[in-house]
Amino acid sequence: MRIKVDLDLCQGHSVCMEECPEVFDVRDQPGGYPQVVVLMEEPPEELRKKVMSAVRGCPNRVISIEE
Amino acid sequence: MSKVIPKASGEKPETGHYEEYSVNQPAFLMRIRNECGELAEYNLMSQPHVLMSGPDAQEAWCRAPDEVLGQSAAYKGIVPIFGKGVLFDTTLDRLKQQLKIQVDALRYQNMKAYAQVIADEVRDFTNNWGESGELEMVDEFLRMTLYTSTSCLLGVDFRRNMTDEFSELYRDLEHAVIAIAFIDPYLPLPEFEARDKARARLGEIVEEIVEKRRASTEEYTDALHTFMTSTYTDGSTLSPHEITGLLIATMFAGHHTSSGTATWTLIEFLRNPQFMEEVKQELAEVFADGGDVSHHAMRGMPKMEAFLREVLRMHPPLSTLIRVVEQDFNYKGTIIPKGYRVVMSPGVAHKIAEVFPDPEKFDIHRPEPEHLFAWMAFGGGRHKCAGNAFAILQLKAIFATLLLDFDFSLSSAAENYTDDHSGMTVKPQAPMTVRFKRKKK
Repeated sequence: MRIKVDLDLCQGHSVCMEECPEVFDVRDQPGGYPQVVVLMEEPPEELRKKVMSAVRGCPNRVISIEE
Repeated sequence: MSKVIPKASGEKPETGHYEEYSVNQPAFLMRIRNECGELAEYNLMSQPHVLMSGPDAQEAWCRAPDEVLGQSAAYKGIVPIFGKGVLFDTTLDRLKQQLKIQVDALRYQNMKAYAQVIADEVRDFTNNWGESGELEMVDEFLRMTLYTSTSCLLGVDFRRNMTDEFSELYRDLEHAVIAIAFIDPYLPLPEFEARDKARARLGEIVEEIVEKRRASTEEYTDALHTFMTSTYTDGSTLSPHEITGLLIATMFAGHHTSSGTATWTLIEFLRNPQFMEEVKQELAEVFADGGDVSHHAMRGMPKMEAFLREVLRMHPPLSTLIRVVEQDFNYKGTIIPKGYRVVMSPGVAHKIAEVFPDPEKFDIHRPEPEHLFAWMAFGGGRHKCAGNAFAILQLKAIFATLLLDFDFSLSSAAENYTDDHSGMTVKPQAPMTVRFKRKKK
């Protein structure tokens, strides 16, 4: 799987980081909202469950997955 | 060559479409969407507006940068409520920094503390209801959500000692949100005089709490704490005046919107008993593990969430959102000129039959549209309602408690519960009365 994020939509709510810190970090950006940083663009299969929780939990639906 | 923006019929000299618009805004907007399509130009008292509807147009509206579609002019009427130098009364750079600090108070890390606070407030509030009776829910939910929001924003201590003075000051601010404020919010009117007095007094109250907290070693997890400890990019902290402004802005954004949605949620449960049963079934399963409301409100409840989503589709609390065109705005080859206002309407977005088949039917099983900008209850993009996760958390906590503890029924015929379109925003038309009976333990 491959992680895609749409930064136009990200306000740094940080649910993703809570659900799957291996893949997602949220960092301060100069003069705006903190935003998600993807630490692993192609995470291993064993992280799928946690990644899916992050996708579903994101209140702004920033994250999507390409197979 | 730019294409011409399709113009809505029925324009009158001078007032434009104002009369039709003010009689029934949602019906007017739906009519011009059906007549003109994605872009529909209309005119209110010589001010040209363009309604952008349909998922693609809504997406373009959401994704446009602040330099192209600006927010400030649309908020002119409430600048004195938030205060000088707060949010839409600052530079774009300062605005972004303040919005960031506001969102910090709503991030996931704070949310767990809020879940507990909300669950406790809802339990305390309903404990005062007694065993059975009849309640007017518009007012009940307005009070309940005033308590939950003051607890989450200003802290549980403040909320416990909250006086009538605070509610009255807040009401004076609300009463200044009138149509004329968006033309000139500084006219010598009694509403505006009361507003300015209330704003000054609230500033004093907040400053007092801030000073107390700075002198104490206690740890807090509320929004006030976030606002007090956040800094601008130059390292400076927010002044008590700015802190007060952000607290008021956060409260304004979340109070009527949440209480109105709570009212509609209860009414829709009672109008759609088959779906209410499904949600109750889910609650029974979820709560079988003995966890409490605050614990479960933070977690998945797919049926409850689908129900809330459908309530927000049918009754979006903000029916229109407005931006001002700061630089000519190109949508699929049509130029919307500088100075126009562009409008995105969740009310229209949610009733487009090609996107939501049979749109007037309440159905929690309707498939979610694929387009990310089809369901617009919280807006979308960089200015999406930052409180959206908080709002859903709060509604889940409220309705988990209410459905577990009480049985409700409508006091009036189902079709008598309607929206009030006469004010600046759409809200449930009071009275909305229901009967309740506490369940036997």
